Amino acid sequence: MNTYNMVKQRFIKKWINTLHMLDSSIEHPLNVTERKNAIRLSSDLAIAAARSGSTVWSRALISRSGNKTTNKPMARRILKKARNRMKNRCRTLRRNGNFTAKVGVRKRTEFLKSLVPGGELIDDKDYLIRETLDYIVYLRAQVDVMRTVAAVDLVTGNVTNDRRNK
Amino acid sequence: MDLTGGFGARSGGVGPCREPIGLESLHLGDEFRQLVTTLPPENAGGSFTALLELPPTQAVELLHFTDSSSSQVAAVTGIGGEIAPPLHSFGGTLAFPSNSVLMERAARFSVIATEQQNGNISGETPTSSVPSNSSANLDRVKTEPAETDSSQRLISDSAIENQIPSPSQNNRNGKRKDFEKKGKSSTKKNKSSEENEKLPYVHVRARRGQATDSHSLAERARREKINARMKLLQELVPGCDKIQGTALVLDEIINHVQSLQRQVEMLSMRLAAVNPRIDFNLDTILASENGSLMDGSFNGTPMQLAWPHQAIETEQSFHHRQLPPPPTQQWPFDGLNQPVWGREEDQADGNDNSNLMAVSENVMVASANLHPNQVKMEL
Repeated sequence: MNTYNMVKQRFIKKWINTLHMLDSSIEHPLNVTERKNAIRLSSDLAIAAARSGSTVWSRALISRSGNKTTNKPMARRILKKARNRMKNRCRTLRRNGNFTAKVGVRKRTEFLKSLVPGGELIDDKDYLIRETLDYIVYLRAQVDVMRTVAAVDLVTGNVTNDRRNK
Repeated sequence: MDLTGGFGARSGGVGPCREPIGLESLHLGDEFRQLVTTLPPENAGGSFTALLELPPTQAVELLHFTDSSSSQVAAVTGIGGEIAPPLHSFGGTLAFPSNSVLMERAARFSVIATEQQNGNISGETPTSSVPSNSSANLDRVKTEPAETDSSQRLISDSAIENQIPSPSQNNRNGKRKDFEKKGKSSTKKNKSSEENEKLPYVHVRARRGQATDSHSLAERARREKINARMKLLQELVPGCDKIQGTALVLDEIINHVQSLQRQVEMLSMRLAAVNPRIDFNLDTILASENGSLMDGSFNGTPMQLAWPHQAIETEQSFHHRQLPPPPTQQWPFDGLNQPVWGREEDQADGNDNSNLMAVSENVMVASANLHPNQVKMEL
């Protein structure tokens, strides 16, 4: 009765697809940052596709990254996306600094809206919380799978480095 | 592995629950082997619509989601239909001890919502397994898919109305019996209030000493729904139970979402750093892992891969794994030393990495220039 595992499985399936999609549509960027953005993009797209369309966040994620996958100059878009992410992160850091318990629910909900993809479109706090709940489940699945995959790579990295040192 | 330690207190709830970690627990099946081997020809066009398994018109709609206001309205009402049922049924079943169980339940409801949306595209196992289960929670879930969209709000409102007096009295740590009893009684109420499906009214019982005019009733119903869902979120986000007040709970939730997003960022950076190609890691891992999962016993057949590998004297490192014939890709291996690898396996945690070890040999990291210690420092 492991439906969380099923979520992870669906995510993996979609992730394979998106990785292949990305890999075929961009010329191999050697930059680590570009690769990172491509992987991030593909996995975000994968969780959105795994959720497949009945939630606001998944649709927003898809529209946010969808046009990037269908057109050719990927690398430039990926870089642009990286810049936007950096801007968002700075904004969130600043906002976090100002938050105290006195600020209240309203500002926090606005902040949560900025975090959850497509949250700005949701007016009702009720829906927002539903969306957040769903989004958290899929984010967790994404993190778990990626951590597992990265663990494999890490271990193999250990092995090869030991061999090199011998 | 010290990976989980690096992720901080926020994910503390995830850390201890290590049982499902590891690809073996992902229960990959036949479909994955098919998927991997037939994947390159399928995705030659890179079709986005195929990814979503939706008709092209709907997929195009999704692409232009944020542009049109009509789709915005549709989105919100769409959620009311799909997400409403599973999450409402969440409202009564609160105290659960373990994080993984929570994730399962949350995932189950998301899955069920997806099932409803797609008309059981992705298989009937979630919904079919639900009626077969006899727990109180799943009884409530079972009633949900049978209902129409407009009725769900009514039923859940009355259901939540029943739940609200009790949670304030119970502490979350213990009383599973109480919650199950409550679940059963509210299940009965669910079924009895199904006759109200046709009516457009919200049947809410006013408590003693409270105003009874329609506005405050509706307002109270809405507030209670929100509170119930906030409690759900509290359950889902680790460490959130003890906080009172919506603002702080929202704080915790925001922190949780942020930390998860940051983790994704760091993990994708790590994956990018280790692998020279983008799609290299996943399908190779899953291809070989799939074989090892499908047949747990090691039959000792020599690897059919064209590896210049050393003699396979360390049988014990492969004891529980079977490495299948290679997929279409060519893996440029230098000889990975298996005794070294076996030693690595001994140091690793019990179940989680044992299969990963088998798989990791197939992952080509020989070209990785990044020292693994550096990667760990990033955390």
